[in-house]
Amino acid sequence: MPPRLPLRVALPRFHARHNAAATAIAIPARPCILLSHTPSRAVHNGWVTAPPRSKHARFNQPTAGVPAPTTGPAAALKRRERTTPLRTGVLATKKGMTAVYVGKNRIPCTVLQLDQVQVVANKTREKNGYWAVQVGRGSKDPRNVTAPQLGYYEAKGIAPKAELAEFMVRDEEGLLPVGLQLLPDWFQVGQYVDVKGNSRGMGFAGGMKRHGFKGQEASHGNSKNHRTIGSVGPSQGSGSRVFPGKKMPGRMGNESVTVQNLKVMAVDNELGTVLVSGPVPGPKGRTLKLQDSKKRKPPTQPHREKAVQALVERQPDHEEHLLAARLAHLEMKKQRQPDVGL
Amino acid sequence: MNVASVSRPSGCLKAALRRTRYQRACQRSFVTTPRAQAATPSPFSGRQRDDIARVSHFKVWPQVPSVRKTHPNPLPQLQAQQIAKLDPTGARTRMFSKLHLDSAKVGDVLMVTPNTGEPFAGVLMQIRRAGVDTAIQLRGQLMRTSTEMWYKIYSPTVSAIDIIWRRPKRARRSRLTYLRQPKHDMGNVDNLVFAWRKERFALRSKEKNKAMRGGR
Repeated sequence: MPPRLPLRVALPRFHARHNAAATAIAIPARPCILLSHTPSRAVHNGWVTAPPRSKHARFNQPTAGVPAPTTGPAAALKRRERTTPLRTGVLATKKGMTAVYVGKNRIPCTVLQLDQVQVVANKTREKNGYWAVQVGRGSKDPRNVTAPQLGYYEAKGIAPKAELAEFMVRDEEGLLPVGLQLLPDWFQVGQYVDVKGNSRGMGFAGGMKRHGFKGQEASHGNSKNHRTIGSVGPSQGSGSRVFPGKKMPGRMGNESVTVQNLKVMAVDNELGTVLVSGPVPGPKGRTLKLQDSKKRKPPTQPHREKAVQALVERQPDHEEHLLAARLAHLEMKKQRQPDVGL
Repeated sequence: MNVASVSRPSGCLKAALRRTRYQRACQRSFVTTPRAQAATPSPFSGRQRDDIARVSHFKVWPQVPSVRKTHPNPLPQLQAQQIAKLDPTGARTRMFSKLHLDSAKVGDVLMVTPNTGEPFAGVLMQIRRAGVDTAIQLRGQLMRTSTEMWYKIYSPTVSAIDIIWRRPKRARRSRLTYLRQPKHDMGNVDNLVFAWRKERFALRSKEKNKAMRGGR
């Protein structure tokens, strides 16, 4: 865990880069709780406001002349920095497959459709320990949304989303303003993407399908054991048991699969489609995570800048809208919980 | 309440008190004044009313426009875009369209000329319709060996498709896999191709002569 700042220090509520205007206007920040320098951790009080114990942050810091640790979240982020994408991805639905002819060659493609994809939240290194963008897809009937979630969306000025997912980004440059809608032209035609999603469920699958066992003879006296797994292991010598992890029939599929380095063949904002070459996991209708490829060069910088500019141009009032939503949320909260905060 | 026990005389005070207490409790539940009519019964169940009440305490922002309303299924449009690119005149589509009477039908003999390689002629066994991937299966002979070949009609490598011979009577099924049996196998169609070429050449030369005479 990254070293936690004590509650004495009033943490800034919003990320400064995107909300320069917001911080200028007086918004009631979270109440600044001033505690004594030595927070008592007395169990007999029943509860404490001091942060939980994090021994690792207090001792063996690099400033003491000790080398920085190679384990831990900070080290992991540094280790994966080069392969973490620069910018966020989107949530898309698998609609089906077609083909595209490039010159004389036929390239089978999957059609992925973006539906009401919006940036819902940002995760920062200070607060959450990593950089990420939370993206939402689709919509949900508010009557089917819990009160905490309704409040969550109320404060952001967004209608309740059917699905949410986080996309890790390399640094704060990859964060986006809350509320912006992502369209297919976020991707550059010709760039590579990784597609992540749950594979098709195969139900209870036998050994041959699940593990590629060869089965047994079709004839020559074999009785009723053509597709069985045969022997499950050694006998008395190995403990008169079956080893744990022995490959056997069982439920197969409906698990996360990532297909890397698929090329974006075409992009259509009106239809909301992104055509990627090759197959992707899951049946038609599956929600997939689509992001710039980790193992290929990212899209060119001019395109990245143009894409962000296009997002902002389409919703020039996104900052005001967010501010209005936050103020409205505080008002509604006072009405809902008049006794809280007194 | 047992009617008999109510009217049963009892000399015990305790029983008498118990009886009166019980009667008073019953009387409390008797209603003499008519209750006010319940408000028009809501069409919503209790759980639904709870959901509506919960939502009413929050501000629900409007949705951004959804592609589910405008283009719920983008595949037909994408297919049409691809076909328009590959077959701008629409000739290839017309040749296999069900709506045109002069289209190629299963059982006719077709000749496919690819960009590179020799033309292949054979009986049209199947038409697999799949948008831009629509394909035809021809059964012909390559060096006296019966061969079946699939061709994608919109492929840029397929230079030309010609109808060599039309079946006089409509085939009574859409997939003529019975042609694989020796009894029904049409065999070599080179004679039909030859006849077609002769007629075509004659027509072409006739047109050329007409043009030349017209020019003079």
